[in-house]
Amino acid sequence: MSDPTTPGLVIETRGLTKRYGDDVVAVDGLELCVRRGEVYGFLGPNGAGKTTTLRMLLGLVRPTSGRAAVFGAPPGSPQGLARIGAMVEAPAFYPYLSGRDNLRVLARYAGVSEARVEAVLGEVGLSDRAAHRSATYSLGMKQRLGVAAALLKDPELLILDEPTNGLDPAGMAEMRAFIRSLGEGGRTVVLSSHLMGEIEQVSDRVGVIRDGSLIAEGTVEELRGRAGLRVRAEPLAEAARLVGALPHVDGVTSAGGLLEVAVDTAQAPAINRVLVQAGIAVSELYAQKASLEDVFLELTTTGGDPR
Amino acid sequence: MTRHITAELLVLRKRAATWILLGIWTLLGTFFAYVVPYALDPEDAPAGLVQFLPESLAGTLISGFPFFGGVFALMLGVFALGSEYGWDTLKTLFTQRPGRLRVFAAKLAALGIVLIPFVLALFAAGAVASFVIAQIEDAPVSWPSAWLLIRAIAAGWLILAVWAALGVLLGVITRGTSLAIGVGILYALVIEGLLSAFADGVSALEPLTGAFLRANGYSIAAALGAPVASIESSGPGSFGGPFVDSAQAVAVLVALAAGFVVLSGLLLRRRDVA
Repeated sequence: MSDPTTPGLVIETRGLTKRYGDDVVAVDGLELCVRRGEVYGFLGPNGAGKTTTLRMLLGLVRPTSGRAAVFGAPPGSPQGLARIGAMVEAPAFYPYLSGRDNLRVLARYAGVSEARVEAVLGEVGLSDRAAHRSATYSLGMKQRLGVAAALLKDPELLILDEPTNGLDPAGMAEMRAFIRSLGEGGRTVVLSSHLMGEIEQVSDRVGVIRDGSLIAEGTVEELRGRAGLRVRAEPLAEAARLVGALPHVDGVTSAGGLLEVAVDTAQAPAINRVLVQAGIAVSELYAQKASLEDVFLELTTTGGDPR
Repeated sequence: MTRHITAELLVLRKRAATWILLGIWTLLGTFFAYVVPYALDPEDAPAGLVQFLPESLAGTLISGFPFFGGVFALMLGVFALGSEYGWDTLKTLFTQRPGRLRVFAAKLAALGIVLIPFVLALFAAGAVASFVIAQIEDAPVSWPSAWLLIRAIAAGWLILAVWAALGVLLGVITRGTSLAIGVGILYALVIEGLLSAFADGVSALEPLTGAFLRANGYSIAAALGAPVASIESSGPGSFGGPFVDSAQAVAVLVALAAGFVVLSGLLLRRRDVA
């Protein structure tokens, strides 16, 4: 797709497919749309096709079939790359060059002023170690250097693949806040991760990929779906019968001595009233929302749409 | 493009391997061209004592380029591209602004520039060595003409450039350094060496050896005054002919370099960086 695209979209793919040989389908007919200015979480288990997708969007890997456009340009074109900053998988640098020199090399290729080097080093907190060889950096520092490299062009689109890999909990929290701040001010961020918490905390919208296909997409709230109620009551079977007969209740299941009721949580007082009036002892009644992790596991193990 | 080249020069300049190769090449090149044969017996040298005097500087030094220098240039070429696969830095470079071929062009240009000090350093060291020997032997110090020196330096650069281009190609094909260097040295020693030796007795091999780097490199060296007897007896890198016309040799080397570069560029442009 050398021309796109729907206005307002930064990334658009249609039937994007990557096969390796006859047997391996890394990405399978992917339909992906990323809107301008959003933080898009790209969630999927290891081997789902996230990195291959990102590599195709950057022109590093050629699709077997399908189309993709980034800023309306074919992936890997100079006009598109000029507006993209990326860190794909583990950041890769010349080990014998200092962090600063690595960025100087990239700045010259990217056509940006070398003054940007000091600015981004400061932004990621690496100024103090910038003169040291990158081979001596910890994994976390390499991640920071990778983010600094991605920021060199002050890009409109930032593609970050597993940016918190190797970071300690404090570093992860800091990186998430940093990513969130990068998403402010109109910059588009595509964040690929297999960590639900990471995606949940920073993303405006989330796409879930499994076996190379997008199987769900929406805001975190949309993906988590409607809340339900959990009821602990005695006798449970009679409670289930009564609740199941109520209007607005979409379903009742019994598990672990609890009833899981698919219903709007606003119906909690009415359900409680019915049960108490029937002489049933209600010991617990509370709203329960599926966590993104529950949704993710359901999506990636069964392929069902939880919504 | 200039900024891209300066970026690559920074990468090469700060790499220890570049300086190590430069140092070893200069040291061993001088050692094998002057120190060892002079120490053994200068009169036993194919061209006698005159081979070690300043007047023979161009011919004596250029005979070390087609094989010995070629292996060093091959390694430089392999490192220039093969290491990028090992470190996975190609993906970092390819996601910057320029396209793949511009990155490749910058790498080639920087590699070509880095070969210049390799040639000049050996000529400088050789000049010192020949001057010292002339002083020891109380022989006249008569330098070759500037035109001959310029042609020898240019020829040395061309010979190294072809080998470096072969190294680049092998680095791209194997996506690494170890196998590329192994295959390159295997080619230089076994394929070119053995086939060149067999070509003396098997006339069918002659057209093949005519396309070899060593045949054309030595033909240029011979045209610049390298003693043929020395070329024929230089160990694993020796070449017994037939020598071709120097213009033809230059044309073949340029064509080979262009072929290596084009093939490397095509592979680099076409293949996935995964």
